[in-house]
Amino acid sequence: MTDVTAKAAVAEAPAKQKKPLLTQRQKSKFIDFLFVLPALALLAVFTYYPVAKLFQISFTDWNLLKPEWNFVGLKNWKWLFVGSGAKYLWNSLKVTFLYSLGEIFATMVGGMIFALIFKRMTRSFSAMRAILFVPKYVAMSSCAVVFLWILNTDYGVLNYLLKLIGLQPVDWLNQESTALLSVLMTTCWRVFGYGMMIYLSAMMGISPQYYEAASLDGANSRQQFFKITLPLLSPTTLFLLVTTFLSSMKVFQSVDILTQGGPARSTEVFVYLIYRYAMVDFRMDRAATSAVMFFVILLCITVATMKYSNNAVNYDA
Amino acid sequence: MKKVLALALALCMVFSLCACSGSTGSTAAPAEPAAPAEAPVEAAPASMYEVTEPITIIWWHALEDQYSDLVNEVVSGFNASQDLVTVEAQYIGAYKDVNEALVAAHAAGTGLPAVCVANTDYVASYGAGGVFENLDPYIAATGYDVDDFSTGLLTSSQFEGKQVALPFLHSTQVIYYNKTMADENNITVPTKIEDFPAFLEAGAAACNGYGTVVPGWDQWYFETLYLNEGVKIITDENTCDLDSDTAVGVTNMIKGWCNDGLAYLATGTDASATMRQKFYDGETFSVMHTSSLYNNYVSKCDFEVGMAWYPAASTGNMFSEVGGCVLGIPAGNDQATKNAAWLFLQYLCGKEVNMKWAEGTGYLPTRNSVLTTDEGVAFLEEKPAFQCIFDNLNLINPRIQNAAWSELATTWKNYMDVMINQNGVVEDETKDMVVEINEILEDHA
Repeated sequence: MTDVTAKAAVAEAPAKQKKPLLTQRQKSKFIDFLFVLPALALLAVFTYYPVAKLFQISFTDWNLLKPEWNFVGLKNWKWLFVGSGAKYLWNSLKVTFLYSLGEIFATMVGGMIFALIFKRMTRSFSAMRAILFVPKYVAMSSCAVVFLWILNTDYGVLNYLLKLIGLQPVDWLNQESTALLSVLMTTCWRVFGYGMMIYLSAMMGISPQYYEAASLDGANSRQQFFKITLPLLSPTTLFLLVTTFLSSMKVFQSVDILTQGGPARSTEVFVYLIYRYAMVDFRMDRAATSAVMFFVILLCITVATMKYSNNAVNYDA
Repeated sequence: MKKVLALALALCMVFSLCACSGSTGSTAAPAEPAAPAEAPVEAAPASMYEVTEPITIIWWHALEDQYSDLVNEVVSGFNASQDLVTVEAQYIGAYKDVNEALVAAHAAGTGLPAVCVANTDYVASYGAGGVFENLDPYIAATGYDVDDFSTGLLTSSQFEGKQVALPFLHSTQVIYYNKTMADENNITVPTKIEDFPAFLEAGAAACNGYGTVVPGWDQWYFETLYLNEGVKIITDENTCDLDSDTAVGVTNMIKGWCNDGLAYLATGTDASATMRQKFYDGETFSVMHTSSLYNNYVSKCDFEVGMAWYPAASTGNMFSEVGGCVLGIPAGNDQATKNAAWLFLQYLCGKEVNMKWAEGTGYLPTRNSVLTTDEGVAFLEEKPAFQCIFDNLNLINPRIQNAAWSELATTWKNYMDVMINQNGVVEDETKDMVVEINEILEDHA
């Protein structure tokens, strides 16, 4: 009996010891969490709450001017997908993707070409690189105002030059076929230098031993570029692809100043469409619905890009 | 599993946020309009609108740098006459910029100006949305004389019979033409639309360019051509009649001028500047534009500038529509600010200051009585081209007041661009446009 009691007492002893609320590991994690809490709170208030609010507004009839609103169920979503909004949704998506493709192409291909041309590390080349890079730091609004003048049909410099070489002037900003191209021209002027600098800095990081080895094996410059430079630049290319894609999808200023979405909505990119619904038509409900739609599209594409890129990028440089 | 759970929790959060608000609600930010806006018009005593303590108020305007001296003079004049109220004038930008700033401030319920200009286009939207204070109680309590304003101008500042603003700087559609060239070639601006093609041909030949330019960046410039032909744009049944035979006829008429190279529809962000430059350079014989830019045209042209009324439609109608801007008091302000704003508003729209605006800008005098004063006579002597407007003052109609107007106008402008500049088929595009506009009208009904 005494033996049994003693055994029970031994068994109960650890249970009676006060168990700490958190383990050392959990405690450490909790302290870490407290450090990021202010940042999370800011994100919650200024990012996640507005997104949730936007989602809520998309089910209302709020028109920005009136303080009152009513829930209207899926009315705005029906309007966006099967009502008159559908036409403008698809048009804007088409225009935005076209613009985005153009900007990505200009940044990556243009940047790469300029990086190869201006690769030499001499003082004169440094100056030329700086000249190419400076437009990136010119405010988009200023840049667009200058291009508004350059591209003017009657008084623009570009048409003046075309006339000098015997070509017909082009109504750059007022024709459906040339308006988006004109916006892209403005963009190209700004992004070539940026792409060049990013690629150049990445090229500088590639070990020269790869090229020496390739030369010894008889590889010519073209082969060196395609077999060494290009694959080892893939992380940079991915970085440019993702950042340019995201920034180009949100283009607004240049469109607002150069074309205001026209002619005939041929340059009405998605953000401009949202702006028009909210600030011109005062239809905050429709603007919110379109914005949520746009958010979902961007999210899906970004996730897909990141997933794909993990398998396709070479980080060996 | 964890991911699914996280997603489910996030969705729950979003839906709970949506659901928490109930089936109807209101945005928290905009302040409740003060009591006077809803009070009976004749009930409020004048003391309710008196300024009792020193206050500084803000006036948002759209008068560009060229008018800054005039703005400063007018504001200084007011400040000097007041013990309690000080006004600070702030240039916000074009009407579009002022609208964006005002709507944003209204939705946020903060940063509102005490007095704000608004393009006549926005009166209906601001009235329907309660952005502007109903001025009727103020007018009734202080005995402010509004009967002296031209009827069309006064009606343009009303929404559903409520005076939500006061007429400030007004203009109307006119045709500017190269008078020097017209005199040399014996060309006169026709009074009937059927004679207009011949005028365009003669003008185009005289300047070796265009006969005229139809502004397409704002439907205000061409909508009067439709209205005068009997098109209502918005019918009594709240539908759009821009697909009627008459309306299609007007569209085809404008398209015909453009196809023949006698005119062009000016669209795009720099369309106004380019159109004006073409006129200064003698590349177009005439332009359809706003009377407010008279001073600008005269100062830039090295030839005599003539101003003419739009030709009468085939119906004989030769109405025009009022343009320019009104002044209002944002309803979200507190009562003390509104009272100071009302004082300043009366001054800005008063008879004495009215003539200063008319002389210093190209805008019209808004008060009937100033036309008969010495200043009014002197104004006409200085700007004789305005005679055509003074002769037709009673033909200037208020704008169409409909809360759907802004959306309708954007749609119409875009389709006009497609039909005339992008080779769209008028009949087909018109059908699509009207379906879309009817949907907009129904949505706002």
